[in-house]
Amino acid sequence: MTRTALFYILLGLILAISQVVVFNHICLFGVAVPFVFIYLLIALPLTLGQGKVLTIAFIYGLVIDIFSDTMGLYALGSTVMSALRHPVVRLFFPREDELTDPRPSVDSLGLAVFLRYSVTLTLIFSIVVVLADSFVFFNPLRILLLIAGSTLITTALIVALDFITVNRREKRL
Amino acid sequence: MLNLYRFILRYSTWILFIIYVIASSWLLFARNPYQRHVWLTSANAVSGALYSATNSVTSYFYLREINEDLQVRNAQLEHEVLALKNRIANYQAMEFADTARIDSSLSRYHFAVAHVINNSVSRPTNYITLDRGSDDGLRPEMGVVDQNGIVGIINVVGKHTSRVISLLNPYLRVSCKIKGHDVVGSLVWDGVDPSMAILEELPRHAVYEPGDTVVTSGYSSVFPEGVPVGVVLERVAAREENFRTLRVKLSTDFTTLSTVRIIIDDLADELRTVEDDGKTERKTSIPQKMPSTAQ
Repeated sequence: MTRTALFYILLGLILAISQVVVFNHICLFGVAVPFVFIYLLIALPLTLGQGKVLTIAFIYGLVIDIFSDTMGLYALGSTVMSALRHPVVRLFFPREDELTDPRPSVDSLGLAVFLRYSVTLTLIFSIVVVLADSFVFFNPLRILLLIAGSTLITTALIVALDFITVNRREKRL
Repeated sequence: MLNLYRFILRYSTWILFIIYVIASSWLLFARNPYQRHVWLTSANAVSGALYSATNSVTSYFYLREINEDLQVRNAQLEHEVLALKNRIANYQAMEFADTARIDSSLSRYHFAVAHVINNSVSRPTNYITLDRGSDDGLRPEMGVVDQNGIVGIINVVGKHTSRVISLLNPYLRVSCKIKGHDVVGSLVWDGVDPSMAILEELPRHAVYEPGDTVVTSGYSSVFPEGVPVGVVLERVAAREENFRTLRVKLSTDFTTLSTVRIIIDDLADELRTVEDDGKTERKTSIPQKMPSTAQ
Protein backbone atom coordinates (compact mmCIF):
# COMPACT_ATOMS: atom_id res chain seq x y z
CA MET A 1 0.00 0.00 0.00
CA THR A 2 2.79 2.36 0.97
CA ARG A 3 4.73 1.26 -2.03
CA THR A 4 1.76 1.92 -4.30
CA ALA A 5 1.25 5.33 -2.71
CA LEU A 6 4.90 6.14 -3.20
CA PHE A 7 4.64 5.05 -6.83
CA TYR A 8 1.68 7.35 -7.42
CA ILE A 9 3.38 10.25 -5.67
CA LEU A 10 6.49 9.77 -7.77
CA LEU A 11 4.42 9.39 -10.94
CA GLY A 12 2.46 12.53 -10.12
CA LEU A 13 5.64 14.49 -9.46
CA ILE A 14 7.31 13.39 -12.68
CA LEU A 15 4.17 14.03 -14.73
CA ALA A 16 3.64 17.44 -13.17
CA ILE A 17 7.23 18.50 -13.81
CA SER A 18 7.22 17.22 -17.39
CA GLN A 19 3.84 18.89 -18.06
CA VAL A 20 4.95 22.24 -16.67
CA VAL A 21 8.47 22.22 -18.11
CA VAL A 22 7.99 20.45 -21.44
CA PHE A 23 4.45 19.73 -22.57
CA ASN A 24 2.91 23.07 -21.72
CA HIS A 25 5.15 24.60 -24.38
CA ILE A 26 4.15 22.15 -27.07
CA CYS A 27 1.26 22.90 -29.40
CA LEU A 28 1.52 20.48 -32.29
CA PHE A 29 0.33 21.96 -35.64
CA GLY A 30 -1.16 24.77 -33.58
CA VAL A 31 -4.06 22.57 -32.50
CA ALA A 32 -2.76 19.66 -30.36
CA VAL A 33 -1.74 20.30 -26.75
CA PRO A 34 -0.60 17.19 -24.84
CA PHE A 35 -2.09 17.01 -21.33
CA VAL A 36 0.09 14.16 -20.06
CA PHE A 37 -0.41 14.94 -16.37
CA ILE A 38 -3.94 13.51 -16.47
CA TYR A 39 -2.41 10.04 -16.79
CA LEU A 40 -2.11 10.02 -13.00
CA LEU A 41 -5.87 10.53 -12.63
CA ILE A 42 -6.60 7.90 -15.25
CA ALA A 43 -4.27 5.43 -13.54
CA LEU A 44 -5.55 5.96 -9.99
CA PRO A 45 -6.91 2.68 -8.53
CA LEU A 46 -10.60 2.18 -9.17
CA THR A 47 -10.98 0.97 -5.59
CA LEU A 48 -10.03 4.38 -4.24
CA GLY A 49 -12.99 6.31 -2.79
CA GLN A 50 -14.61 8.81 -5.11
CA GLY A 51 -14.21 11.64 -2.59
CA LYS A 52 -10.49 11.02 -2.37
CA VAL A 53 -10.17 10.82 -6.14
CA LEU A 54 -11.98 14.16 -6.50
CA THR A 55 -9.78 15.80 -3.87
CA ILE A 56 -6.61 14.46 -5.45
CA ALA A 57 -7.77 15.57 -8.89
CA PHE A 58 -8.65 19.07 -7.70
CA ILE A 59 -5.41 19.62 -5.80
CA TYR A 60 -3.33 18.07 -8.55
CA GLY A 61 -4.99 20.23 -11.19
CA LEU A 62 -4.53 23.27 -9.00
CA VAL A 63 -0.82 22.56 -8.62
CA ILE A 64 -0.43 22.31 -12.39
CA ASP A 65 -2.48 25.54 -12.68
CA ILE A 66 -0.21 27.36 -10.28
CA PHE A 67 2.87 26.47 -12.28
CA SER A 68 1.19 27.00 -15.66
CA ASP A 69 -0.42 30.30 -14.67
CA THR A 70 -3.88 29.09 -15.68
CA MET A 71 -5.65 29.48 -12.36
CA GLY A 72 -8.57 27.04 -12.02
CA LEU A 73 -8.53 25.81 -15.61
CA TYR A 74 -6.88 22.40 -15.12
CA ALA A 75 -8.43 22.03 -11.65
CA LEU A 76 -11.87 22.29 -13.26
CA GLY A 77 -10.99 19.84 -16.02
CA SER A 78 -9.43 17.33 -13.62
CA THR A 79 -12.38 17.48 -11.22
CA VAL A 80 -14.96 16.95 -13.95
CA MET A 81 -12.94 14.18 -15.54
CA SER A 82 -12.38 12.36 -12.23
CA ALA A 83 -16.05 12.54 -11.36
CA LEU A 84 -16.85 10.67 -14.58
CA ARG A 85 -14.16 7.99 -14.15
CA HIS A 86 -16.41 5.30 -12.68
CA PRO A 87 -19.35 5.80 -15.07
CA VAL A 88 -16.97 5.58 -18.04
CA VAL A 89 -15.32 2.37 -16.75
CA ARG A 90 -18.74 0.85 -16.18
CA LEU A 91 -19.76 1.82 -19.69
CA PHE A 92 -16.95 -0.12 -21.35
CA PHE A 93 -16.19 -2.75 -18.68
CA PRO A 94 -19.43 -3.71 -16.95
CA ARG A 95 -17.79 -6.37 -14.79
CA GLU A 96 -15.89 -3.94 -12.60
CA ASP A 97 -15.63 -6.47 -9.77
CA GLU A 98 -13.78 -8.93 -11.97
CA LEU A 99 -10.78 -6.60 -12.38
CA THR A 100 -7.50 -8.35 -11.58
CA ASP A 101 -5.71 -5.10 -10.87
CA PRO A 102 -7.53 -2.09 -9.39
CA ARG A 103 -5.35 0.18 -11.51
CA PRO A 104 -6.83 0.68 -15.00
CA SER A 105 -4.22 -0.29 -17.57
CA VAL A 106 -3.78 -2.19 -20.82
CA ASP A 107 -3.05 -5.27 -18.73
CA SER A 108 -6.07 -5.11 -16.47
CA LEU A 109 -8.69 -3.91 -18.97
CA GLY A 110 -7.29 -5.02 -22.26
CA LEU A 111 -6.02 -2.65 -24.95
CA ALA A 112 -9.37 -1.99 -26.61
CA VAL A 113 -11.21 -1.17 -23.39
CA PHE A 114 -8.31 0.84 -22.01
CA LEU A 115 -8.09 2.82 -25.24
CA ARG A 116 -11.80 3.64 -25.15
CA TYR A 117 -11.59 4.48 -21.44
CA SER A 118 -8.64 6.80 -21.84
CA VAL A 119 -9.96 8.37 -25.07
CA THR A 120 -13.30 9.15 -23.42
CA LEU A 121 -11.76 10.65 -20.30
CA THR A 122 -9.21 12.64 -22.30
CA LEU A 123 -11.98 13.89 -24.55
CA ILE A 124 -13.98 15.03 -21.53
CA PHE A 125 -10.94 16.76 -20.07
CA SER A 126 -10.10 18.43 -23.40
CA ILE A 127 -13.64 19.62 -23.93
CA VAL A 128 -13.82 21.19 -20.48
CA VAL A 129 -10.38 22.77 -20.68
CA VAL A 130 -10.66 24.09 -24.25
CA LEU A 131 -14.16 25.48 -23.73
CA ALA A 132 -13.26 27.09 -20.42
CA ASP A 133 -10.13 28.53 -21.99
CA SER A 134 -11.73 30.02 -25.12
CA PHE A 135 -15.08 30.57 -23.38
CA VAL A 136 -16.69 32.11 -26.47
CA PHE A 137 -17.71 30.11 -29.50
CA PHE A 138 -16.66 32.70 -32.02
CA ASN A 139 -14.50 30.15 -33.88
CA PRO A 140 -16.19 26.74 -33.55
CA LEU A 141 -13.93 25.00 -36.09
CA ARG A 142 -10.78 25.91 -34.19
CA ILE A 143 -12.33 24.77 -30.92
CA LEU A 144 -13.26 21.41 -32.46
CA LEU A 145 -9.78 21.00 -33.93
CA LEU A 146 -8.20 21.87 -30.56
CA ILE A 147 -10.35 19.31 -28.75
CA ALA A 148 -9.74 16.57 -31.31
CA GLY A 149 -6.01 17.23 -31.63
CA SER A 150 -5.43 17.44 -27.88
CA THR A 151 -7.42 14.26 -27.30
CA LEU A 152 -5.51 12.37 -29.94
CA ILE A 153 -1.99 13.32 -28.84
CA THR A 154 -2.80 12.97 -25.12
CA THR A 155 -4.27 9.51 -25.63
CA ALA A 156 -1.24 8.39 -27.60
CA LEU A 157 1.08 9.63 -24.87
CA ILE A 158 -1.08 8.00 -22.16
CA VAL A 159 -0.93 4.60 -23.90
CA ALA A 160 2.83 4.98 -24.24
CA LEU A 161 3.14 5.95 -20.59
CA ASP A 162 1.02 2.99 -19.62
CA PHE A 163 3.37 0.63 -21.43
CA ILE A 164 6.42 2.25 -19.81
CA THR A 165 5.11 2.28 -16.23
CA VAL A 166 3.53 -1.15 -16.35
CA ASN A 167 6.65 -2.68 -17.81
CA ARG A 168 8.69 -1.04 -15.18
CA ARG A 169 6.44 -2.43 -12.42
CA GLU A 170 6.61 -5.90 -13.81
CA LYS A 171 10.38 -5.70 -13.82
CA ARG A 172 10.27 -4.55 -10.25
CA LEU A 173 8.00 -7.39 -9.29
CA MET B 1 -29.27 16.77 12.68
CA LEU B 2 -28.67 13.10 12.17
CA ASN B 3 -30.59 13.24 8.94
CA LEU B 4 -28.50 16.14 7.75
CA TYR B 5 -25.35 14.22 8.64
CA ARG B 6 -26.62 11.19 6.74
CA PHE B 7 -27.55 13.35 3.82
CA ILE B 8 -24.09 14.90 3.71
CA LEU B 9 -22.48 11.48 4.04
CA ARG B 10 -24.61 10.04 1.29
CA TYR B 11 -24.03 12.79 -1.17
CA SER B 12 -20.53 13.68 0.04
CA THR B 13 -19.04 12.91 -3.36
CA TRP B 14 -21.52 15.18 -5.14
CA ILE B 15 -21.10 17.94 -2.60
CA LEU B 16 -17.33 17.63 -2.90
CA PHE B 17 -17.60 17.69 -6.67
CA ILE B 18 -19.77 20.79 -6.65
CA ILE B 19 -17.45 22.51 -4.20
CA TYR B 20 -14.41 21.75 -6.34
CA VAL B 21 -16.12 22.85 -9.53
CA ILE B 22 -17.24 26.11 -7.92
CA ALA B 23 -13.77 26.68 -6.47
CA SER B 24 -12.02 26.12 -9.78
CA SER B 25 -14.57 28.21 -11.66
CA TRP B 26 -14.13 30.99 -9.17
CA LEU B 27 -10.38 30.81 -9.62
CA LEU B 28 -10.82 30.74 -13.37
CA PHE B 29 -12.99 33.85 -13.49
CA ALA B 30 -11.39 35.77 -10.65
CA ARG B 31 -7.75 35.27 -11.56
CA ASN B 32 -7.71 35.18 -15.35
CA PRO B 33 -8.22 38.58 -16.97
CA TYR B 34 -9.55 37.16 -20.24
CA GLN B 35 -12.19 34.90 -18.68
CA ARG B 36 -13.08 37.65 -16.22
CA HIS B 37 -13.57 40.10 -19.05
CA VAL B 38 -15.72 37.68 -21.04
CA TRP B 39 -17.75 36.86 -17.96
CA LEU B 40 -18.35 40.49 -17.08
CA THR B 41 -19.22 41.36 -20.67
CA SER B 42 -21.77 38.59 -21.01
CA ALA B 43 -23.14 39.30 -17.53
CA ASN B 44 -23.52 42.94 -18.50
CA ALA B 45 -25.23 42.00 -21.72
CA VAL B 46 -27.70 39.85 -19.83
CA SER B 47 -28.42 42.46 -17.17
CA GLY B 48 -28.61 45.16 -19.85
CA ALA B 49 -31.19 43.18 -21.79
CA LEU B 50 -33.13 42.61 -18.59
CA TYR B 51 -33.08 46.29 -17.66
CA SER B 52 -34.15 47.42 -21.12
CA ALA B 53 -37.01 44.91 -21.08
CA THR B 54 -38.24 46.22 -17.71
CA ASN B 55 -37.75 49.76 -18.84
CA SER B 56 -39.74 49.28 -22.03
CA VAL B 57 -42.67 48.14 -19.89
CA THR B 58 -42.43 50.62 -17.01
CA SER B 59 -41.74 53.64 -19.23
CA TYR B 60 -45.39 53.64 -20.31
CA PHE B 61 -46.49 54.35 -16.75
CA TYR B 62 -44.63 57.66 -16.76
CA LEU B 63 -45.86 58.87 -20.14
CA ARG B 64 -48.59 60.98 -18.59
CA GLU B 65 -46.20 62.85 -16.32
CA ILE B 66 -43.68 63.22 -19.11
CA ASN B 67 -46.39 64.59 -21.36
CA GLU B 68 -47.38 67.19 -18.78
CA ASP B 69 -43.77 68.18 -18.29
CA LEU B 70 -43.39 68.57 -22.01
CA GLN B 71 -46.51 70.71 -22.23
CA VAL B 72 -45.20 73.02 -19.52
CA ARG B 73 -41.83 73.19 -21.19
CA ASN B 74 -43.46 73.82 -24.55
CA ALA B 75 -45.44 76.70 -23.11
CA GLN B 76 -42.29 78.20 -21.64
CA LEU B 77 -40.47 77.90 -24.95
CA GLU B 78 -43.35 79.42 -26.89
CA HIS B 79 -43.36 82.33 -24.50
CA GLU B 80 -39.65 82.71 -24.98
CA VAL B 81 -40.00 82.61 -28.75
CA LEU B 82 -42.61 85.37 -28.62
CA ALA B 83 -40.39 87.49 -26.38
CA LEU B 84 -37.43 86.99 -28.71
CA LYS B 85 -39.51 87.81 -31.78
CA ASN B 86 -40.60 90.99 -30.07
CA ARG B 87 -37.01 91.89 -29.33
CA ILE B 88 -35.95 91.17 -32.90
CA ALA B 89 -38.76 93.39 -34.19
CA ASN B 90 -37.59 96.18 -31.89
CA TYR B 91 -34.01 95.81 -33.07
CA GLN B 92 -35.15 95.81 -36.68
CA ALA B 93 -37.08 98.97 -36.06
CA MET B 94 -34.02 100.58 -34.46
CA GLU B 95 -31.83 99.50 -37.34
CA PHE B 96 -34.36 100.77 -39.83
CA ALA B 97 -34.40 104.14 -38.12
CA ASP B 98 -30.59 104.24 -37.96
CA THR B 99 -29.91 103.30 -41.57
CA ALA B 100 -32.66 105.32 -43.22
CA ARG B 101 -31.13 107.88 -45.58
CA ILE B 102 -31.74 111.38 -44.35
CA ASP B 103 -31.03 114.35 -46.53
CA SER B 104 -28.87 117.01 -44.90
CA SER B 105 -31.60 119.55 -45.52
CA LEU B 106 -33.82 117.42 -43.36
CA SER B 107 -31.58 117.71 -40.33
CA ARG B 108 -34.32 119.43 -38.37
CA TYR B 109 -36.38 116.31 -38.80
CA HIS B 110 -35.93 112.93 -37.28
CA PHE B 111 -37.89 109.77 -37.55
CA ALA B 112 -39.77 107.41 -35.27
CA VAL B 113 -40.51 103.96 -36.58
CA ALA B 114 -43.88 102.33 -36.14
CA HIS B 115 -45.65 99.23 -37.35
CA VAL B 116 -49.02 99.32 -39.02
CA ILE B 117 -51.48 97.30 -36.97
CA ASN B 118 -54.60 98.20 -38.88
CA ASN B 119 -55.09 99.49 -42.39
CA SER B 120 -57.83 99.82 -44.96
CA VAL B 121 -57.82 100.77 -48.63
CA SER B 122 -61.32 99.89 -49.78
CA ARG B 123 -63.47 102.31 -47.78
CA PRO B 124 -64.46 105.79 -48.97
CA THR B 125 -62.46 107.26 -46.06
CA ASN B 126 -59.46 105.20 -44.99
CA TYR B 127 -57.50 105.31 -41.77
CA ILE B 128 -54.37 103.54 -40.55
CA THR B 129 -53.56 102.51 -36.97
CA LEU B 130 -49.98 102.46 -35.67
CA ASP B 131 -48.48 100.75 -32.63
CA ARG B 132 -46.78 103.88 -31.32
CA GLY B 133 -48.36 106.67 -29.32
CA SER B 134 -47.70 109.75 -27.25
CA ASP B 135 -45.30 107.78 -25.02
CA ASP B 136 -43.08 107.40 -28.05
CA GLY B 137 -43.11 111.10 -28.84
CA LEU B 138 -45.92 111.11 -31.37
CA ARG B 139 -48.25 114.11 -31.64
CA PRO B 140 -51.17 114.90 -33.94
CA GLU B 141 -50.33 116.47 -37.30
CA MET B 142 -47.11 114.60 -37.78
CA GLY B 143 -46.41 113.23 -41.23
CA VAL B 144 -46.11 109.52 -41.88
CA VAL B 145 -44.02 108.11 -44.72
CA ASP B 146 -42.72 104.73 -45.72
CA GLN B 147 -39.70 103.82 -47.84
CA ASN B 148 -41.56 104.73 -51.06
CA GLY B 149 -43.41 107.89 -50.26
CA ILE B 150 -45.94 109.63 -48.07
CA VAL B 151 -48.59 107.66 -46.22
CA GLY B 152 -50.69 110.11 -44.28
CA ILE B 153 -50.90 112.41 -41.28
CA ILE B 154 -51.41 111.50 -37.66
CA ASN B 155 -54.83 112.46 -36.49
CA VAL B 156 -55.46 111.00 -33.04
CA VAL B 157 -52.78 109.92 -30.57
CA GLY B 158 -53.26 107.51 -27.69
CA LYS B 159 -50.63 106.53 -25.17
CA HIS B 160 -49.43 103.55 -27.16
CA THR B 161 -51.29 103.76 -30.44
CA SER B 162 -52.23 106.40 -32.91
CA ARG B 163 -54.55 106.87 -35.87
CA VAL B 164 -53.37 108.15 -39.20
CA ILE B 165 -55.52 109.76 -41.82
CA SER B 166 -54.48 107.83 -44.89
CA LEU B 167 -53.65 109.55 -48.12
CA LEU B 168 -56.53 107.44 -49.40
CA ASN B 169 -58.97 109.73 -47.60
CA PRO B 170 -60.69 112.56 -49.46
CA TYR B 171 -60.49 114.76 -46.34
CA LEU B 172 -56.71 114.89 -46.57
CA ARG B 173 -55.14 117.37 -48.92
CA VAL B 174 -51.41 117.56 -49.25
CA SER B 175 -49.56 120.43 -50.81
CA CYS B 176 -47.42 119.05 -53.65
CA LYS B 177 -45.41 120.17 -56.64
CA ILE B 178 -43.93 118.69 -59.76
CA LYS B 179 -40.23 118.14 -59.18
CA GLY B 180 -38.15 120.77 -60.94
CA HIS B 181 -40.91 123.33 -61.10
CA ASP B 182 -42.13 125.56 -58.36
CA VAL B 183 -45.80 125.41 -59.24
CA VAL B 184 -47.75 124.04 -56.32
CA GLY B 185 -50.95 122.03 -56.34
CA SER B 186 -53.05 120.09 -53.97
CA LEU B 187 -53.08 116.30 -53.91
CA VAL B 188 -56.31 114.54 -53.00
CA TRP B 189 -57.70 111.06 -53.40
CA ASP B 190 -60.71 110.71 -55.63
CA GLY B 191 -61.95 107.59 -53.83
CA VAL B 192 -61.67 105.25 -56.83
CA ASP B 193 -58.32 103.49 -57.10
CA PRO B 194 -56.01 103.03 -54.09
CA SER B 195 -52.96 103.45 -56.33
CA MET B 196 -54.09 106.72 -57.92
CA ALA B 197 -54.71 110.26 -56.69
CA ILE B 198 -55.55 113.63 -58.24
CA LEU B 199 -53.21 116.61 -58.23
CA GLU B 200 -55.41 119.62 -58.71
CA GLU B 201 -55.30 123.39 -58.38
CA LEU B 202 -52.19 123.56 -60.54
CA PRO B 203 -51.91 126.89 -62.37
CA ARG B 204 -52.67 126.78 -66.05
CA HIS B 205 -49.12 127.70 -67.00
CA ALA B 206 -47.68 124.74 -65.20
CA VAL B 207 -45.34 122.72 -67.40
CA TYR B 208 -45.34 118.96 -67.05
CA GLU B 209 -44.61 115.72 -68.83
CA PRO B 210 -46.23 112.38 -68.08
CA GLY B 211 -43.72 110.52 -65.87
CA ASP B 212 -42.66 113.62 -63.96
CA THR B 213 -42.18 113.04 -60.26
CA VAL B 214 -44.56 114.65 -57.80
CA VAL B 215 -43.07 115.60 -54.43
CA THR B 216 -44.24 117.46 -51.35
CA SER B 217 -43.88 121.18 -51.51
CA GLY B 218 -42.69 121.80 -47.97
CA TYR B 219 -45.26 124.51 -47.40
CA SER B 220 -46.25 122.96 -44.13
CA SER B 221 -44.37 121.61 -41.12
CA VAL B 222 -45.98 118.21 -41.65
CA PHE B 223 -43.86 117.03 -44.59
CA PRO B 224 -40.44 118.33 -45.50
CA GLU B 225 -39.91 119.47 -49.05
CA GLY B 226 -39.17 116.78 -51.62
CA VAL B 227 -40.75 113.68 -50.14
CA PRO B 228 -41.82 111.51 -53.11
CA VAL B 229 -45.52 111.17 -53.69
CA GLY B 230 -45.90 109.65 -57.14
CA VAL B 231 -45.53 110.23 -60.86
CA VAL B 232 -47.74 112.14 -63.27
CA LEU B 233 -49.83 109.88 -65.47
CA GLU B 234 -52.11 112.11 -67.51
CA ARG B 235 -54.22 115.21 -67.55
CA VAL B 236 -57.84 114.96 -66.55
CA ALA B 237 -60.66 117.32 -67.16
CA ALA B 238 -60.60 120.12 -64.61
CA ARG B 239 -63.63 121.46 -62.85
CA GLU B 240 -62.36 124.98 -63.06
CA GLU B 241 -60.80 126.29 -66.19
CA ASN B 242 -58.15 128.34 -64.47
CA PHE B 243 -56.47 125.33 -63.06
CA ARG B 244 -54.99 122.13 -64.37
CA THR B 245 -55.75 118.73 -62.89
CA LEU B 246 -53.43 115.70 -63.26
CA ARG B 247 -53.81 112.04 -62.39
CA VAL B 248 -50.92 110.83 -60.27
CA LYS B 249 -49.75 107.25 -59.75
CA LEU B 250 -48.90 106.99 -56.08
CA SER B 251 -45.51 105.58 -55.22
CA THR B 252 -46.69 104.19 -51.91
CA ASP B 253 -48.32 100.78 -52.07
CA PHE B 254 -51.03 101.08 -49.46
CA THR B 255 -52.05 97.44 -49.75
CA THR B 256 -48.72 96.16 -48.40
CA LEU B 257 -48.02 98.77 -45.76
CA SER B 258 -46.13 97.40 -42.76
CA THR B 259 -43.37 99.54 -41.32
CA VAL B 260 -43.63 103.29 -41.52
CA ARG B 261 -41.67 106.29 -40.31
CA ILE B 262 -43.18 109.25 -38.51
CA ILE B 263 -41.56 112.54 -39.28
CA ILE B 264 -40.90 114.45 -36.11
CA ASP B 265 -40.14 118.11 -36.77
CA ASP B 266 -37.95 119.59 -34.04
CA LEU B 267 -39.12 123.07 -34.99
CA ALA B 268 -42.80 122.24 -35.04
CA ASP B 269 -43.48 123.60 -31.55
CA GLU B 270 -41.47 126.74 -32.27
CA LEU B 271 -43.24 127.27 -35.55
CA ARG B 272 -46.59 126.80 -33.89
CA THR B 273 -45.83 129.27 -31.12
CA VAL B 274 -44.41 131.76 -33.59
CA GLU B 275 -47.45 131.47 -35.81
CA ASP B 276 -49.81 131.56 -32.83
CA ASP B 277 -47.97 134.58 -31.39
CA GLY B 278 -48.28 136.27 -34.75
CA LYS B 279 -51.99 135.71 -34.71
CA THR B 280 -52.43 136.91 -31.13
CA GLU B 281 -50.13 139.87 -31.71
CA ARG B 282 -52.13 140.85 -34.72
CA LYS B 283 -55.30 140.46 -32.74
CA THR B 284 -54.00 142.49 -29.82
CA SER B 285 -52.05 145.05 -31.80
CA ILE B 286 -54.92 146.09 -33.99
CA PRO B 287 -56.99 147.52 -31.14
CA GLN B 288 -53.85 149.26 -29.80
CA LYS B 289 -53.19 150.78 -33.19
CA MET B 290 -56.77 151.73 -33.74
CA PRO B 291 -56.80 154.44 -31.15
CA SER B 292 -53.47 155.73 -32.40
CA THR B 293 -54.75 156.02 -35.96
CA ALA B 294 -57.83 157.59 -34.57
CA GLN B 295 -55.70 160.11 -32.88
